[in-house]
Amino acid sequence: MKKLKASVWKEILLVLHDKVGLLLMYLMPLLLVFIITIVQNSAFQIVNENKLTVLISNQDKGSLGDSLVKALVQSGSFEIRKKDRLSEAAVKRTTIDEDAMLGIYIPSDFSEKMAGNADNISKLMLEQMGVIEKAPKTTPRKQEISIYFDPVVQENFRISVINGIQSITNGIENEEMVSKLFQEMGYDSIPATIRQAIVNRETKLKIANASLNEVAELIPNSSQHNVPAWSIFAMFFMVISLGGNIVKERLSGSFLRLQTIPGGFALTLISKFLVYLFVALSQLLLLFMMGIYIFPYLGLPKLAMPNAFLPFMVVTLLSAVSAISYAVLVGTYAKTQEQANGFGAISIIIFAAIGGIWVPNFVMPDYMQTIGNISPLKWCLEGYYILFLKNGAWGELIGTISFLFLFTVICQLLIFIKLRIQNYL
Amino acid sequence: MQETLLHVSKVYKSYGKNTVPSLDGVDFTVSRGEIVGIFGPNGAGKTTLISILCSILDPTLGSVTYHLNGEKSPREIRSSLGFVPQDFSFFPELTAKQNLSYFGNLYDLKKDELAQKIDELLQKVGLFHVKNQKVSTFSGGMKRRLNLIISLLHNPSILFLDEPTVGVDVQSKIAIMSLLQELNRQGTTIIYTSHHLKEAEEFCNQIILIDHGKIIANNTLTNLLEKHEVSNLEDLILKLTGTLLRD
Repeated sequence: MKKLKASVWKEILLVLHDKVGLLLMYLMPLLLVFIITIVQNSAFQIVNENKLTVLISNQDKGSLGDSLVKALVQSGSFEIRKKDRLSEAAVKRTTIDEDAMLGIYIPSDFSEKMAGNADNISKLMLEQMGVIEKAPKTTPRKQEISIYFDPVVQENFRISVINGIQSITNGIENEEMVSKLFQEMGYDSIPATIRQAIVNRETKLKIANASLNEVAELIPNSSQHNVPAWSIFAMFFMVISLGGNIVKERLSGSFLRLQTIPGGFALTLISKFLVYLFVALSQLLLLFMMGIYIFPYLGLPKLAMPNAFLPFMVVTLLSAVSAISYAVLVGTYAKTQEQANGFGAISIIIFAAIGGIWVPNFVMPDYMQTIGNISPLKWCLEGYYILFLKNGAWGELIGTISFLFLFTVICQLLIFIKLRIQNYL
Repeated sequence: MQETLLHVSKVYKSYGKNTVPSLDGVDFTVSRGEIVGIFGPNGAGKTTLISILCSILDPTLGSVTYHLNGEKSPREIRSSLGFVPQDFSFFPELTAKQNLSYFGNLYDLKKDELAQKIDELLQKVGLFHVKNQKVSTFSGGMKRRLNLIISLLHNPSILFLDEPTVGVDVQSKIAIMSLLQELNRQGTTIIYTSHHLKEAEEFCNQIILIDHGKIIANNTLTNLLEKHEVSNLEDLILKLTGTLLRD
């Protein structure tokens, strides 16, 4: 025990003297988690919370263009800027100048065409029902509106906006059609009860996030992605400090001396493991505390901790042990400190990129998601997603636990083989 | 008759199937209390031999046996051997005292005994006044002295030194050699390599000359000089290994 204490103390002193390593292990992830969360949170807010700025030029001579604008305002999703003096070409140009996400041009014959179509359909229906003898033959003239998107708006977002506008115009068209039907049957307008019934006809969609636990239902936000993601990144980035430290000690000859001291080398490895386990856990604690206590003061979403404490500890310990094992593996196989630092840093950045640390894995194309499965960082993050966002049970964590366990075993085995060949063990 | 401490028998070491062996059938014995100098050109196999004797490397063939409370392998006598590598094998970020304390604890020395030993050794090599300074601030000679005393904390029965005085000033060299002679007087067997041949002539009782992994001479200095009709160790080495430059 005395030997272990001395060895652990020596490692602590070495870590404390490694100023660059400390900055990389603690300050870098702190800065990253702040910056990336703030940036991603604004993006989340643009999509989820803020109203979209829409430039509208309504040239319609009838009333349906106004109905469309009114419906867009009532949807609550758009901030409408009316610019009725603009021509279609001007809308196309001005959308970007006015910093709007999209511009809508409603032509002068919008109402006329829509009313004509509604009239045509309603007469065909009355003919079918035998109310009138013969509907006049007319050629349908489809009404049009033009939409100009800011080029930065992504395709999936465009589709959802188009669907929203389409839904509003369909509603207006349906109402117009029913109105024409009633007019043909001698009514001045649609009876109030019928109008109300049309409004209430829409299917009610009850929308909520999927959850395994009935008690807690968490909504994913930028904090819940970034805090665990950058904690994992920080743990794995200790390859710079730990991997470099191993190479340095090996090259300096202190490993040689340790080889001649009974149990000295194994004790050194164990104490490095213990000290860096503490470093990894303290990194995680620091970033999580930041997410819980500091983020709300900066207007960022507060990190809500999962209820499942034991699975949380298991995922955290496995993530830390995997990170340490990888760092020791790099340190054991690297021939120089530069090689350990270079390979270590690049490999972790690649693992982070494909593992969904920067951009969540689930928004990547299928093939990238498949490639991402080789990244230990992906599995660590997957574990935290299950804990944070799905309140996952043990069954859900089997994939994460199995991969990280296997990854650690393989790393340790490769370390053992190399050290055995070099006669250290 | 002197008591045998170490018996090296037909030791062969190769780092690969198709490579030239670093050691090729090395055979010798060392008696208790001797100071043995292992000499030879660069790449002759000196460091490999010392590494095998210290249990850092295992021989490909052959055996190394220590006679310390029975016959023992190098691994079994680790706690009785001291090894001073050619490289500085300590932690420059730590102070001299922290380094000594760390290695002393690994040798499982008692707290009081260790504290006393640290002070005593620091005094002997003139580093006591800088014991709380970071080793990275030390001169080459100071580092060399610290490198030596780390290996003496546990009072080893047998001490291996790989170039213990390389790159140091004359004062540090004298301090190191005096300490080694004192240790030898107290019964420590010393096996060392050096390129300081004058120093070795005065220091060693037994000379082992090695080249191309084979022992080409093994005797007292006087006997070797007489046999090969040369006047000093340098001439002896040149006569037996030639003047051709080695890689």
